Amino acid sequence: MKKKNKAIRFLGSMQFAMILLAVLIAACILGSVIEQGQTFALYSEVYGERAAAAIVALHLDDVFHSPWFILITAFLCANLLMCNLTRLPAPVRRWKSSADRHEETVRNPDAVAVIDEDPQKLFADLRFGGIKKGITEDGSEYLFGSRGRAGIWGAWVCHLGVLILIVGFALGQGQSEEYTVYGVKGQTKQVGDTDYLLTIDDFRIDLREDDTVEQYTADLTVRNAATGESSSGSASVNNPVSIFGMKFYQNSTGWAASVIVEKNGEELQREILCAGEFISVADKPDLVIYLNAFYPDYAMVEGEPVTLSSKLNNPAYLYRVYYQGNMIGMNALTGDDVITIDEYTVRFEDPQSYTLIQIKKDRFAGLALAGGIITLLGIVLALFVQPAAVAAIRQQDGNWKVYASGKKGGLLFVEDFEKAVSAYRVRGSAEEQEKENSEHGE
Amino acid sequence: MGNEHLLGIENALFTAAMLLYFASMIGYIAYIAFKKEILAKIFYIVMLVCFVLHTAALVCRGIGAGRLPMTDRYEFAACFAWGLCLVSLVFIKKYRLDVLGAFSAPVIFLVIGYAAMQSKDVHELMPSLQSNWLGFHVSTAILSYGAFGVSFAVALVFLLRDRIAKGSFLDRHIPSQDKLDMIGYRSVSVGLLFLTFCIISGAIWAERAWGSYWSWDPKETWSLITWLIYAIYLHQRIRKGRKGKSAAVFALIGFVCVLFTYIGVNTLIPGIHSYA
Repeated sequence: MKKKNKAIRFLGSMQFAMILLAVLIAACILGSVIEQGQTFALYSEVYGERAAAAIVALHLDDVFHSPWFILITAFLCANLLMCNLTRLPAPVRRWKSSADRHEETVRNPDAVAVIDEDPQKLFADLRFGGIKKGITEDGSEYLFGSRGRAGIWGAWVCHLGVLILIVGFALGQGQSEEYTVYGVKGQTKQVGDTDYLLTIDDFRIDLREDDTVEQYTADLTVRNAATGESSSGSASVNNPVSIFGMKFYQNSTGWAASVIVEKNGEELQREILCAGEFISVADKPDLVIYLNAFYPDYAMVEGEPVTLSSKLNNPAYLYRVYYQGNMIGMNALTGDDVITIDEYTVRFEDPQSYTLIQIKKDRFAGLALAGGIITLLGIVLALFVQPAAVAAIRQQDGNWKVYASGKKGGLLFVEDFEKAVSAYRVRGSAEEQEKENSEHGE
Repeated sequence: MGNEHLLGIENALFTAAMLLYFASMIGYIAYIAFKKEILAKIFYIVMLVCFVLHTAALVCRGIGAGRLPMTDRYEFAACFAWGLCLVSLVFIKKYRLDVLGAFSAPVIFLVIGYAAMQSKDVHELMPSLQSNWLGFHVSTAILSYGAFGVSFAVALVFLLRDRIAKGSFLDRHIPSQDKLDMIGYRSVSVGLLFLTFCIISGAIWAERAWGSYWSWDPKETWSLITWLIYAIYLHQRIRKGRKGKSAAVFALIGFVCVLFTYIGVNTLIPGIHSYA
């Protein structure tokens, strides 16, 4: 039982949190320095075979989705949860007692001074409001003021925010749905394995005078094949559109072209092919035509194919032909060039831009955002709302002894206090006060 | 007034500001070397003039480019130096910490020097950067980097404080280690607040632009690393006996991370933030 309690205490301890943060930092460094999601061959080339084997075995090729990273994050959540549960009574107690804790302020002050005026003016100078008056146990009159009480909750709220943020992110990673659909104007495609069909009604690329892109816009219609219900909207970069609870993003673009396959002069097949896609010839599936790249304004510069602009001045199609898995041809087609393979003729025409639409449904993004906002609030409370208290006890000689406590503000709070109180100090008693302060400092 | 003309004025103001930053760096070093208090006062004013000229340069560039001057490497470096200067001026004044200038002025000069080495050509914004979040996201990054730069300078002063002979000029003009620790804590607090704003606003913007609020892009990851290091800094300060030196060391490490997040990630690790 004792061991169990000790383990639970350790789970919520700051020591464990520091270890976890250090490991998390190390993991993040590894995940950013080692290129993620690459092949064993690439790691072998860069780091050598043994290191590549270690990278793959330790999941360093996908650090942020690896089981050990998820475990660390789970431990961090447990630490935050335990920390918040075990430390909840402390801020509750402090909050309850902070309304009037003159005794504690007198017992454990950061600075003390004796003044001969009503301390209420000094309290106001120090921005303490809601002054409470009362009589101490030994019958002396006292005043008490506090400020920044909300700061008591800072660390607790901040930890809660981080916990919610991580949970929201983790749930989103596990539960979100994500699809991509690409196509040219007029095409309709299914959204993943859902009932929804996406039609690209239009796709525009707005260019500036200097030929740079100002905006990409796709007009979309989504239809539920099961119910027949449909809805439309426009998505542009930075302005996704929400349809049927899914968000549609204008993600990227590229070139597509119609590929026409003729057999003995008769059209056999006509399809739209995006750069990077291939088709198998309809009656000869072993014959594959691959559109490697498209150059709208083709030129050869230093032996390399390049495009001089985004305008269709000299379109060229870089293709590869495979037969039974072996590459049998590769070249760039310009003008009226065609590819001839036995009785087949292949040509490309009608180049146009295609759009890639990203579709996402993340029901937990709001939770993660709430976590972020709570974290921010916690940081403001923890770091900028400094709980402080002042108490003044009337002495028998009629002067007031003022005690100030501002733990988080520390020395800077004491400096502010000293500055404010200097105008009110009892003349001739500076030495005595200095002595008193140094006694309290000890 | 034509845009070219405004960009010409910006160039002149930027050069003037850079030369004066250099002068203030030398002036603050002379303040320590020759132990002349008046030098700190004079070069605080010089730094203030730098700040005004630098601000005017950024305004001219903004008007000349027809957008916020915060998008390419030159602009961000110029803004970074501006943020460092702003936070330094505030902290020197607020905490009467003249010696801070001797440590922050060289950092400002290095950053503005880095800016001067970048291309000043004005580019139109790519579609993903055309967002209202740009100003908020980048300005919070600038302020957080500026505050962390100041915490770095304060941490250096803190660590050197021990080596200063008792009763010397510096001993009389540099606050106690306890006070330096508090000033460092305040600057880290400001930096962490703005960094959190920066990360959250970046996440919201990324969600709108890229469809994912967190993609483990190197810039995002290193911002998180920086955030975690300063979180450790704050926890170190509340652990008994760890205040001071240990926290100062973390403030130094934190700023090294800030610099790596800014320069190292852009140049060494490609990612979707590579234009920044």
